[in-house]
Amino acid sequence: MRAFLARHWYAYAMVLPVVVVVGALVLLPLAQGLYFTFTNINEATIANPVLDRPASYEFVGLDNYVNVLTGGESYGAFWSTLGRTLIWTFGCVLAHYAIGLGLALLLNRRMRFRGLYRVLLILPWAVPPFISVFAWRYLFNSQFGIINQALGALGLPTPVWLGQSDLALFSVMVINTWLGVPFMMVTLLGGLQSIPRELYEAAEMDGASAWQRFRDITLPGLRSVSSTVVLLGVIWTFNLFHVIFLSTGQNPHTRILVTYSFERFFSGASRDYAVASTYGVLILSLLLVFVTIYRRAMRRQGEVW
Amino acid sequence: MAEVAYVNASRVFPGTPPVRAVDNLELSVADGEFLVLVGPSGSGKSTALRMLAGLEDVDEGAITIGGKDVTNTPPKGRDIAMVFQSYALYPHMTVAENMGFALKLRGVPKAQIREKVAEAARMLDLTKYLDRKPKALSGGQRQRVAMGRAIVREPSVFLMDEPLSNLDAKLRVETRANIAALQQRLGTTTIYVTHDQVEAMTMGHRVAVLKDGVLQQCASPRELYDRPANAFVASFIGSPAMNLKTVPLTAEGARLDGLVVPLSRAALDGAAAEGLSEVTFGVRPESLRLASADEDGMEMTVELVEELGADAYVYGSVRIGEHPERFIVRVDGRTPPAFGQQVKVTLRDADEVHLFHPETGLRLSA
Repeated sequence: MRAFLARHWYAYAMVLPVVVVVGALVLLPLAQGLYFTFTNINEATIANPVLDRPASYEFVGLDNYVNVLTGGESYGAFWSTLGRTLIWTFGCVLAHYAIGLGLALLLNRRMRFRGLYRVLLILPWAVPPFISVFAWRYLFNSQFGIINQALGALGLPTPVWLGQSDLALFSVMVINTWLGVPFMMVTLLGGLQSIPRELYEAAEMDGASAWQRFRDITLPGLRSVSSTVVLLGVIWTFNLFHVIFLSTGQNPHTRILVTYSFERFFSGASRDYAVASTYGVLILSLLLVFVTIYRRAMRRQGEVW
Repeated sequence: MAEVAYVNASRVFPGTPPVRAVDNLELSVADGEFLVLVGPSGSGKSTALRMLAGLEDVDEGAITIGGKDVTNTPPKGRDIAMVFQSYALYPHMTVAENMGFALKLRGVPKAQIREKVAEAARMLDLTKYLDRKPKALSGGQRQRVAMGRAIVREPSVFLMDEPLSNLDAKLRVETRANIAALQQRLGTTTIYVTHDQVEAMTMGHRVAVLKDGVLQQCASPRELYDRPANAFVASFIGSPAMNLKTVPLTAEGARLDGLVVPLSRAALDGAAAEGLSEVTFGVRPESLRLASADEDGMEMTVELVEELGADAYVYGSVRIGEHPERFIVRVDGRTPPAFGQQVKVTLRDADEVHLFHPETGLRLSA
């Protein structure tokens, strides 16, 4: 043991800072959160040093999970919120991917001002998200927003975009699409440029039309990049809090799992840390299941590049 | 099966000044012929091939395949198959799918595709590998798949763009012979691009030498070797390269150090008509030999001896006028001279010399 340490102390010393930081910022809160899910901790039962009140929360077993998973209204209607979260996640990622790929294909051609277009299209990504979200809130404003003014001028109905209806979910998805497309575009453009030009030439010689070249060369060539960015996109969007919170706040029509967890933790009559933590653990479990299935599917297809 | 013709075809890349990558190429290839385009890098040989493939525009002139003008026809409509230097195999398809891709796009029934692919695979010894992806194949196997992809199509013209340059030396020699034999058997018109003059000489029925986008000479390998049309072709074809030196002319012939090479009347008259006092004199290493002490010859100091087994190449310097000039002589491999030795060198046969105009480089001797 001493010989081992004498030989490898340097390597351990190098990884120690990372271990400490990850432990303090990730593992410890995770373990604490997991523990909270088995208790009835909330604002009234947590230790409060200001009021000189000791902790009074108790171990309640799986009560929190039972309450949440039975889908009661008072516990955030878990199943319908999950459904909304899935619509939000896959709708956004699909739009990101489709629009990002379209723009990447356009930008991959040789044309004038290509560099300028690239910069302009990456711009939404460079702007701080809260600025973009507030700009969109102005655009969507039902009375003064440019969208409704334009619709009104054309004699079309002028809905309340960010109000108490499912239209709000659509609107926040539009906002998030605007924010997420540049990342997809940049990564897919990189993927497109890594496909050798000879493959297109060979396909052209083999008599492939433009659509057949896209289907048989471009899409397979992008597969490894696509699978990575779609996976990342799903995880990010599933957990994306700020866009929804900044555009509609605590609107139940745009509520997804993370925003509900936040609501439960920071607002309400009693800040219910236990239920908020339960939501956190459930989100983590869902994403783990998703990643496992996804990776297995990818492995079965076989990474080609 | 088709004949191919370039009719004053040019490709001009925009720029300042514009680059004429292929300049007024006039070349016709007979049905079933194996034509090799050869030249140093940047000579326009690949561009010429890509123009025929339809991957590069034809800015001036025209290209015909089988008598049909295809100048503005997209690659799809030209009925040609191409083997790329990088092979350009589709990485996500198996060998069989790669080879059958063109047929699949054409809507050929599956059973028929399978049959044709199997046949080509037999021909190329690929049967065992039909279910593999390209990345699981060796370089030589990938090369054969690329060939197979072209063969399965049964096109009227094969185009090959340096298909052997990614193989190791031994495999290259082997594959060279296989491609030539395959072409013979299929009888398909083939245009083959290479920068390797040995490939050009061994494979082609005819060889077209290009330099700076301009066709220098197109002839059979024998003709190219024996009667190069200009000094560039003379120096490019043959390994090691021909000794080419500018030497003064006298009434009897060309004067080298200690040796006057008698020239034919016709050649001397030709030079006189041009008013030349000097000519570019070319002699191949194998046309020179070591002279015995009592013969006339050039005094040469041996600087390097390359022993190849049967032969040895002796590199040495000879004074011509004021300057030392390097000459290469082929000698018997068993008794080569030593480094630093002084030897006398003479011609094997006074007929085996080539004379070129010292400025234009054009051939003078008949």
